[in-house]
Amino acid sequence: MTHLRQAAGNGACLNRALILSLLCLFAAVVQAEERCVTDDANRRVCLDKPAQRIIPLSPGATELVYSAGAGDRVIAGVSYSDYPPEAKELPSVGSHTRLDMEKLLSLRPDLLIVWATGNPREQTDRLEELGLTLYFTEATNFEQIASNIERLSELSGTQGEGHGEAQRFREGIDTLRRQYRDADTVPVFYQVWDEPLMTINREHFIHEVITLCRGDNVFADLSRRVPRIGKESVLEADPEAIVAGGMGEENRDWLEDWKAFSNLTAVKRDNLFFVPPSLIQRPTTRLLKGARALCQHLETARERR
Amino acid sequence: MSVAESQSRSTTLTPRISVLRQFLPLLVLAALALLSMLLAVAIGSVSIPIMEVLAVVQGEGTPLHQTLIFELRAPRALAAFAVGGLLAVAGALMQILLRNPLADPYVLGVSGGAAVGALMAMLAGLGAAVISGSAFAGALLSTFLVFGLAHGSGSWTASRLLLTGVVVASGWGALITLMLATGPADKLPGMLYWLMGDLTYARSPWPAVVALVLVCLLVVPLGRSLNVLARGPLQAAALGVSVKPLEWSIYVVASLLTAMAVTTAGSIGFVGLVVPHMLRLLLGNDQRLILPACALGGGILLTLADTLARILIAPEQLPVGVITALLGVPTFLYLLYRSR
Repeated sequence: MTHLRQAAGNGACLNRALILSLLCLFAAVVQAEERCVTDDANRRVCLDKPAQRIIPLSPGATELVYSAGAGDRVIAGVSYSDYPPEAKELPSVGSHTRLDMEKLLSLRPDLLIVWATGNPREQTDRLEELGLTLYFTEATNFEQIASNIERLSELSGTQGEGHGEAQRFREGIDTLRRQYRDADTVPVFYQVWDEPLMTINREHFIHEVITLCRGDNVFADLSRRVPRIGKESVLEADPEAIVAGGMGEENRDWLEDWKAFSNLTAVKRDNLFFVPPSLIQRPTTRLLKGARALCQHLETARERR
Repeated sequence: MSVAESQSRSTTLTPRISVLRQFLPLLVLAALALLSMLLAVAIGSVSIPIMEVLAVVQGEGTPLHQTLIFELRAPRALAAFAVGGLLAVAGALMQILLRNPLADPYVLGVSGGAAVGALMAMLAGLGAAVISGSAFAGALLSTFLVFGLAHGSGSWTASRLLLTGVVVASGWGALITLMLATGPADKLPGMLYWLMGDLTYARSPWPAVVALVLVCLLVVPLGRSLNVLARGPLQAAALGVSVKPLEWSIYVVASLLTAMAVTTAGSIGFVGLVVPHMLRLLLGNDQRLILPACALGGGILLTLADTLARILIAPEQLPVGVITALLGVPTFLYLLYRSR
């Protein structure tokens, strides 16, 4: 009997506690304005307070978070998270192709910035199961770079800085677009890699940069985003300019190799241009600098006609 | 004490000692297996003091440490152990079946079929569960293909099975190369990690663990027949073993084990080839002993290798296949050298 009565008493207590805690919860929800954005994988990402401990899982995502004005909330990066320079000092949670899950969890992040096509799906699935908040990015054009910066700043409560930076980026791109709108097109071959020889098709953001500068990507119609091609196709396409990055920020070796083909228009006119890979191969705000450099080079090519 | 008395005592004692002597290696291996599991749970890129590990195992400790141990380390260690055990048993069975010391679980193309399935799912951008399912389907397809072709219309032999399997495996290999060469660059790292074998893909260890336990219960009673078969099919037939049904069941069981292993963790090399040989060099060639020893030995090797893969260059992670070879090659060469 006593047991029963006790149980009943406990039940009443429990009920009261439940109602009280529900009320508290309700108050909390009303107080903390929940912030939600839609990420590039079309998922709704919500945080009940601004992100304080962010881990971007790719070098590109790291740059985007810093651009969003939330650099001081970034607590770790991955290998090659090297820009801005202070990102180099961050602890690493592995490489973007294989994350160290233990290290990552032990840092207690409240927001992970996932590179949708770069991070391994089996690991990001697992992180989601473990209750972490994931934001997927996949910046493949100028507008997506800007809008990712805006959305990341909304999650971090740094809208002022983030929206400003996104706006500056958009304006910079628009200025270039206006400047070269009426320029003559220049057939361009952009070399991503030399062994094997690789270029980009129209789905890649480098194609958008070339188009912005009124270049004409000679391999725009290939079916793969980063296709492997043979030297013969380059000779056949006979571009007016060859643009390459190269291994390292100042390595022009790849361009020198083309000089063996003296019949190429690009070689005859000495239109072999170097753009530092870090300025053009990452979908971040630095792409604006890369675009300025490329537009300048194509203008040089026009002058040499 | 009369002579007769002492004789009868010795006959009652000897079997007991020999049974003990026979099972001693298994007991030692079981102890080592337990130790390797403990090590795998205690060591990681985040260092947790051993007292804290013990507290967590008893249900105390911080939530973070509980997550690390129960959600990350323990399932992965179990998966590593089970996959290692499955591969070693499958390898030992293949070596008996084909009477070829170079046979391993992959020689007949099971892993190639699984790889083609897994890579196709990855190229289609599907999730981890579908990748596993597709890998398993590929492995089964390859198994039936080889079975059907080797069966053929005429008579079949172990060498016919071997040839069929090797050629089918080469076919899968060509498809894999084609997919790697034409696949988009952003999918390549994931595909390569799968081909090298990596326990990050292990979602749940339980199917592999259950398969390992089942196969041990299944093959140990067959040990005597397998011993006879290892000496050659003619001798086995003369001694009353029904050779063909036995051979085909070995083939099916070994293929299923391999399928289960590659589905869990990609095609991890080396374990299936070398662990059975190592144990034979150490323990002799009695299948009743070797098969359960393989289940334990393969498990130990892969658990240790995976622990090293997680911590050697942390926070970067190595694919476990690298470590199995780096650990296994010198050990095996040493045993082989010593056995001359």
